[in-house]
Amino acid sequence: MFRSAGVRFAVVYALLLAASAAALALFLWWSTAGLLDRQTETAIRADAQGLSERWEEGGLPALVLTIDERLSGNVDDDAVYLLTNARMQRVAGNLAGWPSIVREPDTWYELPVQRAGILSLALVWRYDLPGGYHLLIGRDVQVRAQLRRLLTDALLWALVIVAAMAVAGALIVRSLLRRTLANVSTTANAIAAGDFAQRVKLSGRGDEFDQLAEVINDMLDRIGRLMDGVKQVSNAIAHDLRTPITRARARLEEASLRASSPEALRAAIDRATADLDGIVAVFQALMRISEIEAGSRRSAFATLDLAPPLADLAELYGAVAEEKGVTLSADIPERLPAHGDRELIQQAVANLLDNAVKFSPPGGTVRLQARPAAAGVEVLVADQGAGIPPEDLKRATERFFRGESARSTPGAGLGLALVQAVAQLHGGTLRLEDAAPGLAATLSLPAPEEPAHG
Amino acid sequence: MMSLTRSYGAAGLALSVMAGFAVTPPSVAGQTAPVMVTSDTPQYCLHLLDQVSELMRLAPAPPPEVTSLSTAGQRMCGQGHTRGGIMRLRRALVLLKEHSLPP
Repeated sequence: MFRSAGVRFAVVYALLLAASAAALALFLWWSTAGLLDRQTETAIRADAQGLSERWEEGGLPALVLTIDERLSGNVDDDAVYLLTNARMQRVAGNLAGWPSIVREPDTWYELPVQRAGILSLALVWRYDLPGGYHLLIGRDVQVRAQLRRLLTDALLWALVIVAAMAVAGALIVRSLLRRTLANVSTTANAIAAGDFAQRVKLSGRGDEFDQLAEVINDMLDRIGRLMDGVKQVSNAIAHDLRTPITRARARLEEASLRASSPEALRAAIDRATADLDGIVAVFQALMRISEIEAGSRRSAFATLDLAPPLADLAELYGAVAEEKGVTLSADIPERLPAHGDRELIQQAVANLLDNAVKFSPPGGTVRLQARPAAAGVEVLVADQGAGIPPEDLKRATERFFRGESARSTPGAGLGLALVQAVAQLHGGTLRLEDAAPGLAATLSLPAPEEPAHG
Repeated sequence: MMSLTRSYGAAGLALSVMAGFAVTPPSVAGQTAPVMVTSDTPQYCLHLLDQVSELMRLAPAPPPEVTSLSTAGQRMCGQGHTRGGIMRLRRALVLLKEHSLPP
């Protein structure tokens, strides 16, 4: 039974309530009956102090006189005194004889007394005096004893009521917890059974359970998106690789059946090999993106100057662009401190430049601009090509996504996906905008961390 | 054996709260013979009346309440209302002592 969280919560609730009630009861007892007891004791001790002083001042006669005076002035009619000699014979006081139960000195006794035929209770303290005299000082506590009994009865009844409330409250707590968890459990069971559209219902109260439900629903949404992505990539791989594989197979089959010379056969094999190399390249790109997304390269991060690698890229792609009749203009500062993986950042910018040159029309210009920004470093690559339609901009970084204008150009649709993965790995962003005409891609990377000042 | 410490009541309640059953402070009244209090008797009443009369005789001008309290106390003791009579005589004594104190 205690393996149930609901039962455990209920028991904890009941115990806490019982402990709180017990603490309250003890405090009430201490501050009422306890206070009266303490007041009585204080009065008896003060009385004893005064009698002791009279004994020291005037001996037995003074003590007897004082006891008589105190009894005479005891308007409350609650004082009890008894002074006896060594043979326990009464010398002064208002008790008929020495009570047999009072044997030890310096001890509190609750003594039954009879006042005018009515049974009562007195709290007394025994003192032994020099010369074998014994003194008993006390106060009638019958009313206080009755009050204590009433208080005890009231507290015990309160305890019974608290116990009943604790049980009822525990059952309610268990029921609430079970109902709330049943909501989550039903959703989890439905998802386990294959209904991924199910979500945890919100009560609308905005409490902790609603917050938990929102977190679970967000998690399920995220898992759903990831599963959609996996499906999409699987479909894209199947679709995009089927064509070159089919083509390579057809070429090899055609050559096998109809090649008229060894040269023709070798040429067919070379073309098929080139097709298969393209497939291998696609898989390598996919694996590289996965590796980047897994974050394993983060350990290679270092503070670096981006200016030299960007200048190298500008020089390399400047030559490529020139062959296509495209101008590449580079604007790179002398120093550009950044923090990250040099090789990955270089790869990402190379992909952006490759795309820009590839899609630029002859006579167009590709801009490579790098500058320090408030949040770190910004690298802009803009071209004057067809660009990406606004409705496709959000999907442009998905794996294998290729817009209508890119269908006729070579590529697998993985370049921007890799750039996006590099940006995310570095805690940066990739922003794609319409450059009218063309596409402006801005890769933002965070600034290197400031060294700690000692 | 019959002695009870002053804290037994609180300890008893604490135990009863923790254990969930009642622990009423044991009354020794039912287990031993009660001791007679002698300051509630007609003899004590007469003793107090003597004291009041003596002090009233010595006082030059006793307060009027003292006289009425003394008379009432004497009457009540005579009618058998000993405790009421003793209470009035005690109040008369206290007033007389206060009155006789130097200012």
